[in-house]
Amino acid sequence: MTASETDQQLVQRAQRGDLRAFDLLVLKYQGRIGALVSRYITDPSEVEDVTQEAFIKAYRAIDKFRGDSAFYTWLYRIAANAAKNHLVSRRRRPGADATIEDAELGQQAELLADVGTPEAVAMGEELAAVVEEALAALPEELRAALTLREFEGLSYDDIAAVLDCPVGTVRSRIFRAREAIDERVKQQMSGESGFR
Amino acid sequence: MTTSEREFETLSAVMDDEADELELRRVLDATSSDPALRARWRRQQMVRELLQTRRISQPNIEVSSAVTEALTGEKSAYRNPLWSMAVAASVTMALVLGGQQLLVPKTSVMQGSVVSDLVGGVVPVLGAQPVQASLGARSLPVADRQVDSVDNERREVAALYERLAEDRYRNLARHHASRAAPMHPAPYISYVRAPAASGEKSAHQ
Repeated sequence: MTASETDQQLVQRAQRGDLRAFDLLVLKYQGRIGALVSRYITDPSEVEDVTQEAFIKAYRAIDKFRGDSAFYTWLYRIAANAAKNHLVSRRRRPGADATIEDAELGQQAELLADVGTPEAVAMGEELAAVVEEALAALPEELRAALTLREFEGLSYDDIAAVLDCPVGTVRSRIFRAREAIDERVKQQMSGESGFR
Repeated sequence: MTTSEREFETLSAVMDDEADELELRRVLDATSSDPALRARWRRQQMVRELLQTRRISQPNIEVSSAVTEALTGEKSAYRNPLWSMAVAASVTMALVLGGQQLLVPKTSVMQGSVVSDLVGGVVPVLGAQPVQASLGARSLPVADRQVDSVDNERREVAALYERLAEDRYRNLARHHASRAAPMHPAPYISYVRAPAASGEKSAHQ
């Protein structure tokens, strides 16, 4: 399977009207799309509205996606246009906090980085620390399998060859590694008041 | 391995594009009914982003439920029988109106199609299309690029139809007069002359 094959399969299912498949794509990309939108718009509630709108537009237009580019690239364009249109409509009202030009030039983007509000930045940093700790605490065999997958992008077959073990074992080790990290992340998130 | 562990492992394989079609279908079925599995998919995507980019973009944004809700609402609306009836009614109305437009001869066709505006356009044969009879002496408007012979033909047609209309009017008036005379309160008036058309008047003068 290629790197985007799951996306492609989910998109094809969504094109046939399977909302469950599209839901997995939303869950997968909502953070990155939210970050993109926050380059244009500062108000967190508006960021959420525009992000939501971008996904709804994407679903309505999903029949037009032919797979010539990655799904995320296509989605990125839709979200950027939604954010720009939102700015255009806000420009007519007083108190607009950013212009299209600002966002295009990256001035707002630099101020906001990719991470939105200071709370989101702090939350992201804490999560990053938790994940790094959890990864370091993994047994060697699990860490090796996950590292080869996430950092090197190797397929299960290639990891099996590198680690000299069956593919089924690779699959199981990667799952167990994720399981251990997820346990720590879940604890961290349940303690965060701002996390939903 | 428990059922949920098996589902989690399959989810992990789906993330890595290492699951087959059947497994993907199983994951879709499971995630739609199991919020824990959905939450895990979301968390693991975040962990992947953190591992690969060393930062996370928007950890607290959550729009998936609202998006699904909005799209489900749209789908339901389209499946609503009232909506279907409304669509069917609109289509029927459009067809009926369109059909009427096609059947009713347009004024522009009546007046302007004797000579087509298109270069090399077809000159219709006389009598092959509906021509409106007129009692007036008003001539039909002509196209700019009209050929003289066609113009003459059109005038002749107009004059012919005008004469036909006048004859018919006169016949009807006479018929009416002959039927009305016996029942008229003034029987000594044996003949009631119908009001003359302007053409007749001028002819008698």
